Amino acid sequence: MSERVLNPDLGFVKDVINAGGESLKKCYQCATCSVVCNVSPDDSPFPRKEMVQAQWGLKEELFRNPDIWLCHQCSDCTAYCPRGAKPGEVLGAIRRMSIEEFSAPRFLAKMVNQPKFLLLLLAVPVAIIVAFVAGQGFLNFSNVPLTDGKIEYGNFLFSLKYVDPLFSAIAVLALASLIMGATKYWKAMYAGMPAGQQPAKPLGVAVSETISEIIAHKRFDKCETTKARSTAHKLVFFSFIGLFITTILAFGKVILQPGSGYLAYLGHPVEVSAAFLTGLTVVFKIIGNVSAVALIIGIFLVMSNRMKNAPKAGIGSYYDWLFITIVAGLGITGLLAELLRLANTPIAYPTYMIHLSFVFFLFAYAPFSKMAHMFYRATAMVFGKMTGRI
Amino acid sequence: MAEQSILVIGGGISGLTVALEAAEAGHDVTIVEKNPYLGGRVAQLNKYFPKLCPPVCGLEINYRRVKENAKVTFHTMARVESVSARDGGFDVTVSVAPRYINDRCVGCDACAQACPAYRQDDFNFGMSKTKAAYLPFEQAYPMQYVIDAASCAKDCGQKCKEACKYGAVELDMKPQTLKINASAIVVATGWNPYDISKADNLGMGKVKNVVTNMMMERLAAPNGPTGGKILRPSDGKEPKKVAFVQCAGSRDENHLPYCSYICCMASLKQTAYLKEQYPDATSDIFYIDIRTPGRYEKFYWKVRDMEGVSFTKGKVARVESAPNDDVTVTLEDVLSGKRVQRTFDMVVLAAGMEAAARQTPPPLDINYTAEGMIVPSTLKPGIYAVGSAKSPVDVAKSVQDATGAALKSIQSALAGGRK
Repeated sequence: MSERVLNPDLGFVKDVINAGGESLKKCYQCATCSVVCNVSPDDSPFPRKEMVQAQWGLKEELFRNPDIWLCHQCSDCTAYCPRGAKPGEVLGAIRRMSIEEFSAPRFLAKMVNQPKFLLLLLAVPVAIIVAFVAGQGFLNFSNVPLTDGKIEYGNFLFSLKYVDPLFSAIAVLALASLIMGATKYWKAMYAGMPAGQQPAKPLGVAVSETISEIIAHKRFDKCETTKARSTAHKLVFFSFIGLFITTILAFGKVILQPGSGYLAYLGHPVEVSAAFLTGLTVVFKIIGNVSAVALIIGIFLVMSNRMKNAPKAGIGSYYDWLFITIVAGLGITGLLAELLRLANTPIAYPTYMIHLSFVFFLFAYAPFSKMAHMFYRATAMVFGKMTGRI
Repeated sequence: MAEQSILVIGGGISGLTVALEAAEAGHDVTIVEKNPYLGGRVAQLNKYFPKLCPPVCGLEINYRRVKENAKVTFHTMARVESVSARDGGFDVTVSVAPRYINDRCVGCDACAQACPAYRQDDFNFGMSKTKAAYLPFEQAYPMQYVIDAASCAKDCGQKCKEACKYGAVELDMKPQTLKINASAIVVATGWNPYDISKADNLGMGKVKNVVTNMMMERLAAPNGPTGGKILRPSDGKEPKKVAFVQCAGSRDENHLPYCSYICCMASLKQTAYLKEQYPDATSDIFYIDIRTPGRYEKFYWKVRDMEGVSFTKGKVARVESAPNDDVTVTLEDVLSGKRVQRTFDMVVLAAGMEAAARQTPPPLDINYTAEGMIVPSTLKPGIYAVGSAKSPVDVAKSVQDATGAALKSIQSALAGGRK
């Protein structure tokens, strides 16, 4: 073996410890973790190697390592660790730091990671939405016009004017930031590849394999200590896809609708049959409601699994719970907003405002919150497939 | 004042040493031992490290010293029921379980031969059976048979009784209660092998041919279940590829958080047994750190340089059945960074030492660590603890410790107790 000079970054070691890896230094490199991990490859398995890299402050090596994201935090390592070094939680902390490293703007990433900024971060969407409502004189909810004596959110916050432009813009910005971050991570992993290594398979194949593996939750299913997590994650994952489809279809309706639709609003109405629009509505209502219920069940399963597994796997960090809370809040207020609207009670309006605030929070801070895991983990999986690591 | 003696709880190597040193200095000593024999764990060992001499020699000398010294009284199959401190000493109640064979026994084996019932031999960790009337092991002291009443139903006892021409079988023997006045109490309760089946990834009790280090001692011992020839339990095959799994339960917060001190030396010693019997055998020792304290390092060098012996840094964290009753272990070879699976004829788990007092604490006001080890600095006047009741130690250290404790207990006795 050739000689190597290591440049430990002691500040980084402290950062890992502060970011939730308190137990890092307890590791004595017995390698139990690498053996009990079912998702780790045989060659240079994780997380033992990551534990020593973190102890030695080898920041670069960790951040350009696909393994930190190939880890699904099954916590089998943490359950069997003889020292209570909690490799699962340490890797979780490192993942969080790597998101901070790659995402832009970085100040926002730092704020999302710190509880002291939570109120400020929440205040932004709340202020915007309250301003929209106040601007129309609707803070007194009895001023909001009704349609045939019934509450209609379109009369309260006309989506084309208020909701859609704001949320579309935020979603685009967030997506751009996420893609930039994932690209940086990809480049770092690529730079860290041993010289002369040839791809094991083409990028296209790696991408399609990754997608099918994610959909099937194959890696999740290998977890033992936190076995139940797979079902919970599937529910949340597929309900997000369902809600995404709902949003697209609803958006389509909003564009096409005669009279009040976007195209009509712009003066270019198109002819669509009423039957088509009704059909569209029925479809997205069904998908939307089913997804909402699945989301709420899924996120509560996530919570109860975490509680149940806490003695073995740890309870998780602020970062985990912030994301869980936002998703739970989103689901509950969404469903409540619908029910209260149907009940025709004015409490529907503030509920809808809270719901929109949650949506804003989820979108706007996605590149820095745990939401970003889907991009970084997928990137690492594609890279892992391409290089033959997994 | 009634005659006082030094009470020693436990008749293993530590307790025997305390008792003999104090008795030979002229003090009355009473040993209370739970087994039907004296000698404790040492009696089960094949050889001591590092000199690799059989412990039976050392025990035999101690047995003779006990026999020849009128100052030593001992009770086997006995336990301390209660202790109350009083001015100048302790009032101790001891219960003695019925042995069903009295001291007229000459050890002729006639009762065992006549006995129709069998029992699991716990001396050999269940790897063999004995008759329900049995001698714990060949050199057992006292040389007196025992009837295991739980395994000896119906007329089984009667058959033993009829076979004994010395009138030694006493089927109506009752439990006894004794009162002892003690000037000092020495706790020498020793250790048990950690129940490593609690580590669900190491295969103990689930995978054939996975044995503990103490079972390996019995497999290698001339008075063991295989007559001293190392054979694997499932099929009696000569094991030519053996793995030793270090830190099986030790240095592990989920089991025993401390280093058990002796397991590295035990695996090195057992590698020597294996190489002696089968010069072409290989021994693979999987470790986190090899810990051979002090001068024992030389023993490590000796075994390390034997042909066919290899050391791999990386803890075995998975043990599974392989075809032909073989055993597959999985580990990460830390130095090469590769996760590997290796298959062996037999796997020895270097299981650690657990304080016996953790399961069966003596009825004394004593502070223990969370793992059941006695904290010596907090012991009350007149009470002492020795050997592996305090921390995991080997025989040599136990004996040194016990000699010191003998002096302490003599001082207590001379001062009129409880000093």
